[in-house]
This record gives sequence, C-alpha cells and structure tokens, in this order.
Amino acid sequence: MSKLLEVKDLRVSFNTYNGEVQAVRGVSFDLNEGETLAIVGESGSGKSVTSSTLMGLLPKPAGVIKSGQILFQGEDLVKKSEKEMQKIRGKEISMVFQDPLSSLNPTMKIGNQIIEGLIKHQGMNRAEAKKKAIELLDQVGIPHPEIRVNQYPHQFSGGMRQRVVIAIALACNPKILIADEPTTALDVTIQAQILELMKEIQRDTKTSIIFITHDLGVVANVADRVAVMYAGKIVEIGTVDDVFYNPKHPYTWGLLGSMPTLDAEDEELYTIPGTPPDMLNPPKGDAFAPRNEFALEIDAVMEPPMFKVSDTHYAATWLLHKNAPKIEMPESVRRRIEGFAKTGKKGGE
Amino acid sequence: MKTEKILEVKHLKKYFPAGRNRLIKAVDDVSFDIYKGETFGLVGESGSGKSTTGQTIIRLYDATDGEVLFHGENVHAKKSRAEKLKFNRKMQMIFQDPSSSLNPRMTVLDIIAEGLDVHHLVKNEKERKERVEQLLEAVGLNKEHATRFPHEFSGGQRQRIGIARALAVEPELIICDEPISALDVSIQAQVVNLLKKLQKERGLTYLFIAHDLSMVKYISDRIGVMHLGHMVELADSEELYKNPVHPYTKSLLSAIPLPDPEYERGRTRITYDPSIHDTSEEPKFREIRPHHWVRCTSKEFEQYKKELGE
Repeated sequence: MSKLLEVKDLRVSFNTYNGEVQAVRGVSFDLNEGETLAIVGESGSGKSVTSSTLMGLLPKPAGVIKSGQILFQGEDLVKKSEKEMQKIRGKEISMVFQDPLSSLNPTMKIGNQIIEGLIKHQGMNRAEAKKKAIELLDQVGIPHPEIRVNQYPHQFSGGMRQRVVIAIALACNPKILIADEPTTALDVTIQAQILELMKEIQRDTKTSIIFITHDLGVVANVADRVAVMYAGKIVEIGTVDDVFYNPKHPYTWGLLGSMPTLDAEDEELYTIPGTPPDMLNPPKGDAFAPRNEFALEIDAVMEPPMFKVSDTHYAATWLLHKNAPKIEMPESVRRRIEGFAKTGKKGGE
Repeated sequence: MKTEKILEVKHLKKYFPAGRNRLIKAVDDVSFDIYKGETFGLVGESGSGKSTTGQTIIRLYDATDGEVLFHGENVHAKKSRAEKLKFNRKMQMIFQDPSSSLNPRMTVLDIIAEGLDVHHLVKNEKERKERVEQLLEAVGLNKEHATRFPHEFSGGQRQRIGIARALAVEPELIICDEPISALDVSIQAQVVNLLKKLQKERGLTYLFIAHDLSMVKYISDRIGVMHLGHMVELADSEELYKNPVHPYTKSLLSAIPLPDPEYERGRTRITYDPSIHDTSEEPKFREIRPHHWVRCTSKEFEQYKKELGE
C-alpha cells in the first residue's frame, strides 16, 4: 500500500479575543491508498479542525497554520494559494459534511449542484454533465434518478439528501473523501444504509476515506485504521483491531468503557472524570493527566512521545515507557472488551 | 414485578393540524403503564412521536383523545390553579438541549430555586440558598457554582443543572427527553450514572426518551418501541433485545453500531419492509408472552407466536 497523504506535525491555532486557542497541537498521520482512517474524539479535540485544514477551509483570518506539512502526492498543501486549492478541492479531495440540509443550496435543483463540479473540473458540457449526474444519483441508490435530478433539496428526506451530498463529493472521482460526522444527524437505520453505501463505493472506486466521528460503534463498522484524538493531539493510532481489542492509552480505555454493551449488566458505566481541557491554556505536560487515574508524576511535567506497541500500533502515554510501573486497563473495561469479542463471534456466524 | 402504577397512558392520541384539512397523527392510540420506581424507555426514530408522547403526558400539549392517569387522576382534566400546581410538583422534565433549556439571564441559583419559589417550599432566603447548594452537591457540582450564569458551564455541567432544577421540587416522575444526545460520549456515561444514582437514593421513576438504543437498554427496566405514532412493541428490556418480534424492532436492533470490529464485520442488517404486514384487519396491541406486547393482526399474532416457539 502506498501513502497517499502524509500529515506531519500539523499545528493550527485560532486567534480569538481571549487569546490563542491551540486547536491542533502537532498531529501526524499517513493515509494509505484505498483505506478508511477514522478520527475519533470528543467535541473540541481538534478532529474537525484537522479535516478543514486538509481541505484548506480554515476560517481566515482567525485560523492560522502555525507549522507542519500536508503532503498530498508529494506536494505540500499548506503552501498552496487559494486559487491552487480550488483546483484540488472537489476534484482530488472532497468532503461530506454533517448536516446535509445546510450543505446543499436550497434554491438550486440538485442536478445543477452536482453538475457544477463536473463542468468546472472535468470540462464537460451541460448535456454530458447532466447524464453523468443521473448516473451518480443512481450509483448512490436514489430511485428514479432522471426525475429526482430536477428536484430541490426540500423534496428529499434526510437520508436521501446525504446520498445527494455523497454523489456531489464523488462526482469528480476524488482520491480522498473526507467525511465529517456524515451520519450523526441521521437515524440509526438510515445511518446503517449510508455506511453501507460508503463502503460499497470504496470497494468500487478505491477512494481513500478519512472518517471523522465521535461514535465508536460507527468506527468499528467502517474503519481500517483508527486515530484517537484528545486535546488537539493523536493519543493512540492503530488498526481497528489494535485499538478496540488491545487499547493502550487510558483515554481510549475510558471511551470504550463508557459505552454500554447490549449484554445484561447492572454495573456502573466506567467514566472519565472531569471535562476536556481549555485549549486557551493547554495544561503543561500530558493534557489528559488531570482526568487520568493512572497519571504518573512525569505526566505533569513532560508530554509523552508516541511509543511503539507494534508496527501498526502507537500510543502516547508514559505507561508504555520501559521504566513505568506495570498498569493494566481497568477490570471493568477489560471485561467489556472480552464481552465484545464474544458478541463478535455471534455476529460472525 | 412492581405493582403500583404511577402513570397509565390509555389510547393517547395527539394530532396536529397540517393545513387544508390534513392531520398529522404524531401519536396515534398509544397505551402503556409506568410502575413506581422503574425506568421506562421510549425509543424510536425521528418522527415516531416519542417526544410528543412525553410532552403530552406532562401536559405541554393537550391530548386529542385518550387519557393519561397519574396516580389514578386524569392529567388533562379541567383543573384549578391549585390542582395544577400540585400536579406540576409531582412530574418534572429534563430536556435534550441543556443550553436552550436554561435562561441565560438567570443565575444558577435562581434557575434551580424557581420551582421552590413557585411552590412556596422555602421560607426565607437562607433556606433557599441552602436547598440549592444541597441540590448542586447532589448532582456533582459545587456550591460556588450557584452565583454563575449558564454560559459559564460545559454541556455536561449544564445538563446537571437541568437535573438539579427538576429535582428541586421533589417530584415522583421525571420525563427525560433525550437527556444525553447532545453530550460527548465520556460525559454521557457521567450523566447516566448520575441519573441511576439519584433514582436509587430518591426512589424516582423515569420515563426515558431516546434514540440511542444501547444507552436505553442499559438504563431501562422496560422499553416501548414507537414507529410512526404507534407503539409497535413493548417488553422488559432483556426480552426485547433477546426476542424482538415486530419486524421494525428487529430492523432497529440490527442497525445499532457496536464498538466491536469483529461483530461489525459479520453483521447482517435487517431492513424493514412495511408491505409485509397483513392488512386484512386493523392491527391491535396484543400480549404475546407475559409482559411482552406487540402490535399485530390476529394472523400475524399466530405467526409471531410460532417464531417465538410458543
């Protein structure tokens, strides 16, 4: 597998009236061809800022890229001008947003909204583009595409609108699709349909997907690899099996432990105490330390580097240092993960 | 099984006019009981009528037809001011969006004490402050928070304020309308644990409305599944998850994503096709096993029974 995108030590800040908010504080990851990388985190963890930076959609002048590189096919996107980015956006990298209603223009027929990109990026004429638009609507599973192409967004249901948004994003065969919470606003049954559609499309087109979400269930469904973000940093990254069955970072333990399973159990949910830090004044040392029951003294002084767990699995916690005390994940979380493995077998039968 | 019914909902209907003589049947003939001390979960997708049901029970809407009995008294009957006050004290609500349900111009002290003032539960300023401080501690906040305004709190803390406000008048039944949907995962667990703890300490009864099925399963003793204004299935939560009968419940359960990659890889989704239903007669709510109800026609009833092996 070859690397399609390399993000190196990306730092993004927002200048606000109250001071500098450090939204992304040194994020590095690779995206391979044809894979789905999920970025999980709570609100304020910097996952959406990371994705809008990749697209060059950082609000200006408040948002500033302090340092770092975004290498796409060997070119650094950080250095590109707005004009150059317009050629890449929608053509090479495209995006699906959370709310399908506000990302579509209510006064334009959906056909025209799909055609826009085709005419601009692929130099098609209107007739060709319209034919392609109907094909795309058919591909994303919208019945009667030749009628639907002349309708307005309000004539579609929420799930159908999200299909339209996906059709627009796919129109120019992008190499990377960034999906920012694409199913959060949808009902569970519709969510399941959209996730299936995205996987199907990926099988057919080999598009790489960056999937941003806070829902670990969705991650388990779509992702090949997972990056867990906390306070503007990636704290754990690995294949989906690494992170769900062998998590190493206490924050990941907390996230997995705080979700109830469907098996009967009356015990309390494992919780992460406290609230995420204020990114105006990020704490010294490990940002997660104040909420971490396993915090070591060094956490208050120095930020942990990324420790290697295996070739695919890395985590940023001092617990992995060779001199650290042996601390295993909490009992309740371990039982939960074992419980998952059991239901997993059931589902696989 | 607890026997004392705290709330009985009987053939409740709530229709909204949609212009040109059209009606939207948001809640269409829904019946269920809630027993004292239990948590009754109400699940369904958007538009299923679950929130309207909750709001009609607490009399935010007038019912189109049917009745709601609270301790045997009709909630929607004509009432004097004093009777209304008495009723409002027994039943409280926690809302979905903690930021829009708190008045931004009031301090936390005044927000929580509003119920105390309305019901004349405190005699003087000192007692009022003490009560609010007790409530803040009960929901895991500090008493120093009393003088602050809602915008100074995070989402999870605001939801705690909403819970403290509901608890202030010492209600028996609390309707929780999607109380955790707007919160982050790690904060959701905190709020759910808090609700469970308060229930144990104070013997509260909850009507828990949500679309997150795994959380509902975790917190509820019994669950009702709503679809397009109807209650399609009602059972103990264990029974509902192990032996779902109605095709809609099956499809809903099969769509829940679980944080387990292995399970997700092997998962088969069941799609709901309303056309498979028998249309020879109007479906009714029938008891297929003790305490397990499903909306079906008599023909379907026999078929479901066979599927359950009874």
